Amino acid sequence: MRFLAFAAALLALPAFAEPVIPEFTDETATAGLWTVYDGDWDYMVGGGVAVFDCSGNGFPDLFLAGGAGPSALYLNRSSEGGPLSFERSDAITLDAVIGAYPLDIDGDGVIDLVVLRQGANRLLRGLGDCQFEDANDAWGFDGGDGWSTAFSATWEQGAEWPTLAIGNYIDRNEDAFPWGSCTENWLHRPDGRRFGPPIALTPSHCALSMLFTDWNRSGRPSLRVSNDREYYKGGQEQLWHIEPDQPPRLYTEDEGWQRLRIWGMGIAAADLTGNGLPEFFLTSMADNWLQVLRDPMSGRPEYVNLAFQAGVTAHRPYTGGDIRPSTAWHPQFADVNNDGRLDLFIAKGNVAEMPDFAADDPNNLLLQTSEGLFIEAGERAGVASMGISRGAQLVDLNLDGQLDLVVVNRWTQAEIWRQTGAPAGNWLQIRLGQDGANRDAIGAVVEILRNERLESYEVTSGGGHVSGALGWLHFGLGEAETVDLRVIWPDGEAGAWQEVAANRFLILRRDAAAEPWLPE
Amino acid sequence: MKLHRRHVLGMGAAFVARPVFALGRDDMAREIVLTWHRLVLELVRHTATYSPPVAARAFGYLGVVTHETLAAIDPALSSLGGQLNGFSAPARQSEPVDKATALHHALSVAVLALFGNTGPIGQRAHGALSARLGARAEEGLEAEIVARSAALGRGVAEHLLAWAATDGGAVIENMGFALDYPIPARPEDWLPTSLVQQHQMPLLPEWGKIRPFAMPSGSACSISSHPEYDTEPGSEFYLAALEVVEVKANLTEEQALIARFWSDDPMLSPTPPGHWLSILIDIADRDSVSVELLAGALARLGAAQADAFIACWEAKYAYNLLRPVTYIRRHIDPDWTPLLNTPPFPEYPSGHSTQSGASAEVLTAIFGEDFAFDDHTHVDDGLPVRSFPSFWAAAEEAAMSRLYGGIHFRFGNEAGTEQGRCVGAYAAALRTTA
Repeated sequence: MRFLAFAAALLALPAFAEPVIPEFTDETATAGLWTVYDGDWDYMVGGGVAVFDCSGNGFPDLFLAGGAGPSALYLNRSSEGGPLSFERSDAITLDAVIGAYPLDIDGDGVIDLVVLRQGANRLLRGLGDCQFEDANDAWGFDGGDGWSTAFSATWEQGAEWPTLAIGNYIDRNEDAFPWGSCTENWLHRPDGRRFGPPIALTPSHCALSMLFTDWNRSGRPSLRVSNDREYYKGGQEQLWHIEPDQPPRLYTEDEGWQRLRIWGMGIAAADLTGNGLPEFFLTSMADNWLQVLRDPMSGRPEYVNLAFQAGVTAHRPYTGGDIRPSTAWHPQFADVNNDGRLDLFIAKGNVAEMPDFAADDPNNLLLQTSEGLFIEAGERAGVASMGISRGAQLVDLNLDGQLDLVVVNRWTQAEIWRQTGAPAGNWLQIRLGQDGANRDAIGAVVEILRNERLESYEVTSGGGHVSGALGWLHFGLGEAETVDLRVIWPDGEAGAWQEVAANRFLILRRDAAAEPWLPE
Repeated sequence: MKLHRRHVLGMGAAFVARPVFALGRDDMAREIVLTWHRLVLELVRHTATYSPPVAARAFGYLGVVTHETLAAIDPALSSLGGQLNGFSAPARQSEPVDKATALHHALSVAVLALFGNTGPIGQRAHGALSARLGARAEEGLEAEIVARSAALGRGVAEHLLAWAATDGGAVIENMGFALDYPIPARPEDWLPTSLVQQHQMPLLPEWGKIRPFAMPSGSACSISSHPEYDTEPGSEFYLAALEVVEVKANLTEEQALIARFWSDDPMLSPTPPGHWLSILIDIADRDSVSVELLAGALARLGAAQADAFIACWEAKYAYNLLRPVTYIRRHIDPDWTPLLNTPPFPEYPSGHSTQSGASAEVLTAIFGEDFAFDDHTHVDDGLPVRSFPSFWAAAEEAAMSRLYGGIHFRFGNEAGTEQGRCVGAYAAALRTTA
């Protein structure tokens, strides 16, 4: 029962070494992002950001949801290590946008965009040079007419195109009495090089986050769905079997799945325990959840909550004086200070004006200590915004090796921070590439051997809160100057171990040595 | 066909669409009362403040508002002024008044105030329902009647709310969880049972001190002590804990269903007092009871439930007894887990048992012994309808459900049920007719 050892280790440590506090500079006023996630009750959830390089210059560009207001694509004009600078593009002018995820759907090497909306969802085919065209009709994609609030993608075994899962929220026509009106989630499976009719993922319980994840490293990702108990009746968190050529099927209590009912709003996954399997952080209201497999050897998806022991309940504001419980949205694991340990960012903000929950609800930056605990550093790092935050991304926007931060806010301008402190450790950023389908190797596992410890990172598409990224995968390496690295490709084939040096960008393709890449 | 809360506005819309002549004023008045109460069962579920004691208090005041509005109109009814602690009768209206309109305005004002912590969706639902029901109630009435009826309803509600504001339970901070609580001094003292950070402090430790509705004080229905705390195998206390373990180990499907049926978790259900309110609403709907009888029942049931939580909480924090899971993990099985989530406050006595006993006492006094009914409370959540031959049969099952769920000792359930009988008797004795 390895979780017990993990839990015991957490509990047995009364003192810990203080991690390096990263230093962020708020560049909201100058970076050129002017998007507000706007709207009435029908935009109370959502507010995402998609991060991807649409220009091909290696610098991540941003697409920000505007809700009832205009959404916008921002082209990254930053220089390496310099201040963050973006130029608004008119290439995407969709309205009613809830969130978006980048994905190369048609495998042409140009990233496409899945846009979640009030009304019909849109697949935007990337044409290159940050131009897009609506591909719903051409790709046979039924965008529906719902309130779409969750997304994830996977390539099922042998498939040329991805399978898309889209979560839908309450019936927006039930404006005066929405409780119990959760609408169907849909699974869009490919039919050759287009999509077949959507398959209902019922029962549906008002999903606010979805993630295809190979939680047991079986080679066949399952679909985790985090649901908002505010509106469902008879619902719970879900895990779906998604087997090729088989209808979706829920995991059952007999299989080990345990009923959990939370205000599920976001999913983040990472291997914190070092057992090669992902742990899951689930955002909610008041206490948040850190799920660790009770017995990884059992093959049963039976999780225990270790948020309390690990120090990541993040249940109420840590600064500002508001003692009411928090409302958490986008979670993301990333090594913010490059010390070789994954940290956790959580976007926070009241739904609107819920009196029982904090109005001044700062975002969290929880830094992992050398003992595996987490400590709050949001205020000291300079990212404790009191904005009503929703989606977010930690991403290296100026390609200096240090993660920056962009956060979408309800009713106020999106915020952006550049990490400006002195580097606290080494880093590595890689992109995976393979020919044919699934060019970005969604579903691959990157393994890094560092200081005799094996770290594993699953490459996923989805999760968070209507926010996602496709591009450089960032790894903090601490003091390590070199690491051994390999890729377990989505079909299970293990690449060769390679020794790579720190502090560089690498492109890793199948059966090839790592290619260095430099920002221009 | 049973109408569920999900259909409240659907029903409201159908209600609105019916021709004026299709519904008498008495029927309309009853429908207005039922519809508002169906809404509050949703608001309770979706408003974090409403832990069971807080919900019971709000239901209690809403029931009294309902009855007092009619009592201010109908000389055949008796006000609860002078019967409830610190409550004086609202002014009566001798000029012609429409009861449906008066009830609508009284409930609209009272719901907004008593459930003010609900979020924007709840506020939106309140506004929509108020507009629809108000338009329907006032249709075809003379403006003078409408104005007088509305003023009466609002006046009664404001009178009640002023009284409610002085009971010591009007302001809830941090969802009711204490910000500080003494460190356990005795081995039998309550300890947190979950790893939810918010639940490291107990719920509403001062609730036993707020002003009751009908019983004289929070300690008016005190209970005798639980078995002496003892860790010795074979002792009475140890055997009570062992029974919890053995029940779980041999739990039947029916028992597991019963545990979940009465689980009534806050924020996932209408809470335990809402469960009994749901039962009353179903009966009123099924039997088309008069609005006068319904209003009196709402007032007395609400008073009984509110008082039940005051009495129970007074005892819980006097005894401050640990939960079965704490004892069992210490002395019997370190890996033991109950079927249900253990609530974050002391064990003795069982709150559900107390308030179910109080509810059964009152409803039996109103509707009689051996009054059979079907309980549809959790149909929307996928649980089946359960049928009961009497209110006490339901109360006794609710008490046993806490043993099946592993969150109470049998003695906590039995003491709670008896305490509830005592509490309910005070509410049952309230006179609602002249």
